[in-house]
Amino acid sequence: MKLVGIAGSVADKSYNRILLKYMATHFGDLADIEMLDIKDVPLFNESDDQTESDAIQYLKRKIESADGVIIATPEHNHTTTASLKSVIEWLSYKIHPLDGKPIMIVGASYYDQGSSRAQLNLRQILEAPGVNAVVLPGNEFLLGEVKKAFDENDNLKDAGTVNFLQSTLQKFVKFVTVINTMKHPQDTGAENEDLGANGKISTTVEGVDMDAPDWVEQAAEKTHAASGNDYVKLDRGLLTVDQLNAFLNSMPLELTYADSNNQFIYYNKMAPAEKMLAARTPAQAGNPLSMVHPKNPRVIKHVKEVIHALRTGQVPEVSMPVPGNNADKYVVHYYRAMHDEQGNYMGVNEYVQDIMPTVKWYLAKTGQKLEGNPDATTSASVDANEPAADTTSSASVDEAAPTADVPEPKTPETDADSGASIND
Amino acid sequence: MNKFVAMVGTNAKVSTNRTLLQFMKQHFADQAEIELMEITNLPLFNKPENSPVPAPVLAMAKKIDAADGVIIATPEYDHAVPSSLMNALEWLSHRVHPFVDKPVMIVGASYGSLGSSRAQAHLRQILDSPELRARIMPSSEYLLGHSLDAFDDQGNLKDADKVAQLDGLFKDFQTFVTVSGHLNNAKDLNQKDTQNFDWNKL
Ligand SMILES: Cc1cc2nc3c(=O)[nH]c(=O)nc-3n(C[C@H](O)[C@H](O)[C@H](O)COP(=O)(O)O)c2cc1C
Ligand SMILES: Cc1cc2nc3c(=O)[nH]c(=O)nc-3n(C[C@H](O)[C@H](O)[C@H](O)COP(=O)(O)O)c2cc1C
Repeated sequence: MKLVGIAGSVADKSYNRILLKYMATHFGDLADIEMLDIKDVPLFNESDDQTESDAIQYLKRKIESADGVIIATPEHNHTTTASLKSVIEWLSYKIHPLDGKPIMIVGASYYDQGSSRAQLNLRQILEAPGVNAVVLPGNEFLLGEVKKAFDENDNLKDAGTVNFLQSTLQKFVKFVTVINTMKHPQDTGAENEDLGANGKISTTVEGVDMDAPDWVEQAAEKTHAASGNDYVKLDRGLLTVDQLNAFLNSMPLELTYADSNNQFIYYNKMAPAEKMLAARTPAQAGNPLSMVHPKNPRVIKHVKEVIHALRTGQVPEVSMPVPGNNADKYVVHYYRAMHDEQGNYMGVNEYVQDIMPTVKWYLAKTGQKLEGNPDATTSASVDANEPAADTTSSASVDEAAPTADVPEPKTPETDADSGASIND
Repeated sequence: MNKFVAMVGTNAKVSTNRTLLQFMKQHFADQAEIELMEITNLPLFNKPENSPVPAPVLAMAKKIDAADGVIIATPEYDHAVPSSLMNALEWLSHRVHPFVDKPVMIVGASYGSLGSSRAQAHLRQILDSPELRARIMPSSEYLLGHSLDAFDDQGNLKDADKVAQLDGLFKDFQTFVTVSGHLNNAKDLNQKDTQNFDWNKL
């Protein structure tokens, strides 16, 4: 577990900083605690927005990528410090990295009250809607008379204090796990998606190596698969395998079948890999999905989330434009859940298509043109009120005209560069 | 006529709390002399061990010393006093102690309906701490909600009820200042206590 620690002081010496350092060095087996510095953060000023400054962006990044935050607050005038409050104000103004973040408060003070008031106050601040952190309830760790608490090596002297601090951190680690699970309920399921296709479904061909380049040939032999002029009965029709291939390979779509065991078992080999919008090679058929994706953890995570969302019916289809689309080419990967007649999930039908020719053809046919719409989330909109002058004469697609006004397509929320497509 | 320092509890250039204090200054001009005091231009408090107190802090302390009372208008940021005001109060409790036994009236404005109620409670708690020890007017609250719509073009409070409430509280504050002037038996001792008070000696 990754935690970050913030000491609420910009003074040269701070016992609260020493306390956090102690936790970071002594409780490494419970959590990996990284100390964050706040001394370069300017005093909050609504009239001088510094949100983009390095000091604040650094805190934002570190906090966002941490599982939880530990804050050690000094007490000044019965409250937390201005320097810490200022940091929280920056982090609740234009950006909100503490939103939903589990937080543990500790504090040290010279006085026997051990920053109790500052901690209570800090809790109230962190729970304000703009901050919206999730503070560990109860479990106050108050280190009073702090000047006597550490030895010359900055170690806590009292064994009872160490034990209490450790057990508080233990509780916090549990708390972080629970809170973060609640935040992403779908994640737990998605994590369990086995892209290695180690499971077995009724159609899984056993005894053939999934990564064999001739998996198709081997599996066909094992299953005595129909081929050539053999008839296949379909819903609704009857085709030979040759007919079926001619039919599928002439689809204006690149089709991929990943079964419910996450095995990539088919694609319509309409062109050599280098001519395809999403390259597939003959040797890949049969591979587990893990083998046809980059090993990048972000990509893997995203693939799992998409498959899990389709498997559990959260969405019927996911669509993702690929990076690098432009006015002439707009390639979209669609992922659609497949089901049998009983509604059981059968896998993902992925189809890839460049929709731009269709758009252009439609515009030319109907005498319309694309017009950028700054208000729309989708970047191109059709202006239906403005028929082109030469409507009747233009029977063919004018390559230049309709594209001139197409703005650069926006990268969608779904984060296309980590797309779940095979081979991206 | 009493002289009051009116502390603007924010470093923002545009502030409805500043507008409120400006209104009070005009509105009560025949009853008291109110001077606005800004908290901008203070460095971030870093608990300096022995560097001299910054000049703007000394200037503020001097003004407060000379005043019969202080009016503080606080915005509310994250259910609490803005850090800029907390920062000013840290400076004004570190080696200088102008707030000891000083009568203080708290007011506040906020965009929402609550009128900075939580920030005001927070401010009371701060002013009550041993190095500030202000005399906050008890049992009084002036909460100006929806502050962006509260003033007309001339900076006058639009709502007559709100004006009447402020009139009443201000009268009470004047009385409180007078009464406070009589509560001086422990004053010297308090002053000395605070001068000697040092968190480092605890
Ligand atoms: C202006 C000022 C106000 C202080 N007010 C308090 C206080 O209200 N309560 C307290 O316990 N310590 C107070 N202290 C003392 C210490 O700063 C405080 O105990 C702090 O929590 C020590 O932690 P640190 O070494 O991390 O700064 C104050 C110090 C200063 C400079
Ligand atoms: C970081 C930040 C936090 C805020 N938090 C609150 C809040 O908790 N409650 C509230 O009523 N207004 C909040 N506001 C909005 C207004 O700033 C606030 O109502 C303030 O009291 C208005 O006073 P002013 O006009 O003097 O700045 C917040 C603003 C900022 C920039």
